[in-house]
Amino acid sequence: MSKIPFKNDGWSGNTGEYDLTEEQVRGIDFVGERPIGGGHPSVSPSYPYMLEDKNPDASLFEGPYKERFEKILTRYPDKQAALIPALNLAQELRGYISPVTMDEIANLIGLSPAYVRSVSTFYTMYNKQPVGKYLIQVCTNISCNLCGGEDVLDAFLKYTNAELGEISNDGIFTTIEAECLAGCGFPTCVQINSQYFENVTINEVPKIVDYLKSIHEKSSMSQEEEG
Amino acid sequence: MAENTTLTIDGDKIAVPAGTTILQAAQSIGKEISHYCYHPGLSSPAMCRLCLVEVEGAPKLLPSCTTQVAQDQVVFTKSEKAQKMRTGVLEFYLANHPLDCPICDQSGECDLQDYVFAEGREHGRGHEPKRVLGRDDFGGDVLFYGDRCVMCTRCVRFMDEMEQNSLLAVVERGDRSVIDTFFESGLEEANWAGNVIDICPVGALVSKDFLHKARAWDLEHTPSICPNCSQGCNIDLHTRDNLVHRIKPRHNSEVNGHWICDYGRGNYEWLNRGDRVEAPMVRTTEQIEITSWNNAIESLAKCLEAKKGDVRAVVSPFWPNEDLFAVVNLLDVLGGGDVVYRSAKTEEELILPGFNGLARRRDLAPNVRGADLIGCSRVGDDYGRGGLEDVINHTGVILVLGDPLEEIPEDLEFKAETIVYLGAYISSVMNAADFILPVTTSIQQEGTFTNHNGRVQRLWPAVDILGAARPAWSVLGELTAILEGGHPSLSKVDQAFQALANRVSEYAGIAYEDLGDRGAQINDTISVMKD
Amino acid sequence: MGYPYSHDQEVPIISKYLGDPEARTLEGWKARGGYQALEKALEISPEDVIEIVKDSGLRGRGGAGFPTGLKWSFMPKDKSRPHYLLCNADESEPGTFKDRELIRWVPHLLIEGCLIGAYAIGADHVYIYCRGEFFEATQVLARAVEDAYSAGFIGNNVMGSGKNIDLTVHVGAGAYICGEETGLMNSLEGRRGEPRVKPPFPAAVGAFGMPTTINNVETLCAVPPIVKNGGEWYRQWGTEKSPGTKLFCVSGHVNKPGNYELPLGFPLHKLIYEIAGGIPGDRSLKAVIPGGSSVPILSAQECENCELSYEGVEEAGSMLGCASVIVMDESTDIVHQVMRMAAFYAHESCGQCTPCREGTSWVTQILKRIEDGRGTEEDLTTLIDLTDQMVGTTICVLSDSVAAPVQSSIVKFKDEYVAMVRRGEKLGIT
Repeated sequence: MSKIPFKNDGWSGNTGEYDLTEEQVRGIDFVGERPIGGGHPSVSPSYPYMLEDKNPDASLFEGPYKERFEKILTRYPDKQAALIPALNLAQELRGYISPVTMDEIANLIGLSPAYVRSVSTFYTMYNKQPVGKYLIQVCTNISCNLCGGEDVLDAFLKYTNAELGEISNDGIFTTIEAECLAGCGFPTCVQINSQYFENVTINEVPKIVDYLKSIHEKSSMSQEEEG
Repeated sequence: MAENTTLTIDGDKIAVPAGTTILQAAQSIGKEISHYCYHPGLSSPAMCRLCLVEVEGAPKLLPSCTTQVAQDQVVFTKSEKAQKMRTGVLEFYLANHPLDCPICDQSGECDLQDYVFAEGREHGRGHEPKRVLGRDDFGGDVLFYGDRCVMCTRCVRFMDEMEQNSLLAVVERGDRSVIDTFFESGLEEANWAGNVIDICPVGALVSKDFLHKARAWDLEHTPSICPNCSQGCNIDLHTRDNLVHRIKPRHNSEVNGHWICDYGRGNYEWLNRGDRVEAPMVRTTEQIEITSWNNAIESLAKCLEAKKGDVRAVVSPFWPNEDLFAVVNLLDVLGGGDVVYRSAKTEEELILPGFNGLARRRDLAPNVRGADLIGCSRVGDDYGRGGLEDVINHTGVILVLGDPLEEIPEDLEFKAETIVYLGAYISSVMNAADFILPVTTSIQQEGTFTNHNGRVQRLWPAVDILGAARPAWSVLGELTAILEGGHPSLSKVDQAFQALANRVSEYAGIAYEDLGDRGAQINDTISVMKD
Repeated sequence: MGYPYSHDQEVPIISKYLGDPEARTLEGWKARGGYQALEKALEISPEDVIEIVKDSGLRGRGGAGFPTGLKWSFMPKDKSRPHYLLCNADESEPGTFKDRELIRWVPHLLIEGCLIGAYAIGADHVYIYCRGEFFEATQVLARAVEDAYSAGFIGNNVMGSGKNIDLTVHVGAGAYICGEETGLMNSLEGRRGEPRVKPPFPAAVGAFGMPTTINNVETLCAVPPIVKNGGEWYRQWGTEKSPGTKLFCVSGHVNKPGNYELPLGFPLHKLIYEIAGGIPGDRSLKAVIPGGSSVPILSAQECENCELSYEGVEEAGSMLGCASVIVMDESTDIVHQVMRMAAFYAHESCGQCTPCREGTSWVTQILKRIEDGRGTEEDLTTLIDLTDQMVGTTICVLSDSVAAPVQSSIVKFKDEYVAMVRRGEKLGIT
């Protein structure tokens, strides 16, 4: 988790009467850097993050990811219960769940590929196709809808210049409509990768999009330098 | 024995064993409660919501497929509330159904048709566009019409619970749910997948082989025994115009439950072979000539009279017990002689893991066990060939029943003086035969097969007899009577079976008329197995 | 104290430390009296813990309001098989945002509640099933769980009691129906989150086929203060049938949306106008959904004297549910909002039961058509009929949840539907 370096007029952190920093609201300092290996086994299924950098060709599972997967297996009375954590982990690495991934997970857990397909298509968080570097999920359910959620969704589509559910031309954004994100007191609630953005109005949308673009540019510049 | 529970269903007071479900209890008194997801051979997810019934004291309607009976329970299957609910649920079933009955193979044997006809609304009130999924080849013999699917998941549960190879699954959720395989891979590796076609209550899963071949109401159903291996699965032969159009499983909890394998199901074309022997023929000096049964049997009797003790026989395990026994009995009367048979045998059994004791057996003939019990000996290799050296070299009389000896080269000279072919199919052996007697096949006559496990099961004629063919037991019985000096000959199949039961101790105490459509276990003299 | 606003009429029992970052840490939590209730619980018998919770009258906060102590007492005493406690943190009922706040501000309160619950029902293992989208909150919880393991509150020999209680944080992957208790169990087991037919009930055959109890986050958070202070203490708030306090999630058209902890029985009108700061721009109230999107809509008039207790809201014609108060002012397009709710249920229906699978999407399509100006008045009758056919005919109550807003809105706001139909008629598009 990282701190977003601009002041959102509507952070839950500085909404209302609490005088809190963003770190305090998000618990950034408290959580610290979570180890990729999963930390204590009790919380190793508690990931995933939705990472900015995905590698569709990443192996299932190697190094610290293997360590995390093995810890996950120790927490349930049977192997099948590790299916959803394993799919989570695969999506964290690869960014989406492809038929190949389903097949590999099926072999790993000892289930039929059709069954794994059945389970993974039941859950909406599994992307069935690649998504942009930033997956923007805008809640348009009732509480956010009453407060302009649909306008916020339109604004994201406009500023990222992409169709709903499609990757923007620059490859950075995919915007989708989300069902209630349980942030109804902070409408409109938007989830971008792992993070919640709360009290987002159409005025915040360009700022958020520009900010994400800028960190994307910075990271690709530094990659070029390294390269 | 479980204790009985007494309850009332629609005013009828009944007692059923504790643990019975309401749906089964109702069935036991002939009341059918509509259902899709429930299938007696599978688990009950209670999700189709069609079998809901009103139970006195229960706040909601209860699924009769999973609700067990309770003492003094009062059930209403046809109360206004229950009936209204079913009409409502059926309306939802039709919301996205294409109503393409005129081109649907299931038409005429479709539960959706039947239920809607019985309890559906008179007019639909849907104005919304219907979901369109199209059709998908699931592999094997299975074709999927997604738009007709009622999402009962019987097919998924069959693959999970019976075949135990989860090749089918529900993909997506909500109204996007659809039954599918794993992308491009299908049911090819399955051995029992054809059963999903049978248990599909609508026309969503249909047989490619049967596609648009016949309308359900034009088919006649005859109970039979699958002739394709020694498991002895109970089947129904579906025929039209004297041809078998498909094989469907017939329930028998002792043998095959509700299921049959794909091998047996798909292997019926040979039953329709048209190259049939249709008239008795006897060789005169050079030529073989058609003659009357009387003449054929009398000449044969004369011929055999002269060759007592010098007769050998080859029989086929595709022929019923009564026929095989008639051969053995004839040879006994003639002073003995070996009776051999040959039968193809595969490498492995194909078991259905979810149903104890059910497999496509290694022996690919229905009456191998019967042949053994009667005293025939097996010869030849696992392809059902060879092993006839003794027969070929035999110099007396050779009697062949059923086995067309097809692999014997035409130029191979039998050393026998007389060859008698009791057969159904045209065969090269006929070139050498001195007597050709047309006999009926197992689907044209009554009789019994004995399965690998010693279960004796009945056959019924499903197609007409061609030409002058007669059951072999009848032909041989008449012959034996002549040879024995005027004994009355057998006129009915139960007498033929009785003759067998009198002589083969394993069958002692079994009466033909008691076999019914369930069969009986050999050596189980107490009673016929009942369901 | 509510978050992000507080009010002096609140009774902060479980919400006392919302917005207090120090309370997240183990040390901070202990300094605020944390884990004393667990210590007390471990000194008395599990049966006594259940008695205290029974005495308090605490009712499940997940929506159904079933008495928690009674639910715990259903667990078999025979311990030859593993028992499980599941904490339902799959918060996804539209309008509800209390559990996420509890998890991210007071994770140790939840952990403590889980441990006491597990001790009471004899569970060996607690699974906290967190909603998959809650990445941030779940990481806070994960850190707290690690700290609690290190400190000996979880794991072998909890606080030296000789009891072994494990706890695992599990995350879902996006499915509203996994908030239904048996759907959650299937999901935990690595299956589709389809609700199961009951009976058997979870206390007999639950997660992994074992006796299982499932409680909501807020329910378990209420347990430590109850165990610490006693059942009678908790009953000083609330009503006879709805004792104690409850987090009210106020959202929609109010000046100060947020969570407020108030005694049950608190007047709805006062909640909107005093606690939540009234309606922006002094617009007038049109309707309120008092318990999350699955309950019937109340008209402004019905809200006047509505008391926010389980029985009070029922009397007013709706249900308290999880006390998610969605406020709609005069500018609200009721048909659009009902359509949006129906679309949500169509999206989230698991698809097992036909009335729900087909009904939710059919109803949504009709509502969309009405909104597009292509509806007829006959459609309104059809909507009532179809939703009638969806009530009480399915395994779980998701399809009943569509009926509630659809039927109540057609009855109470028929004018709006009719106006929409007429608009289409005027335009000549029907």
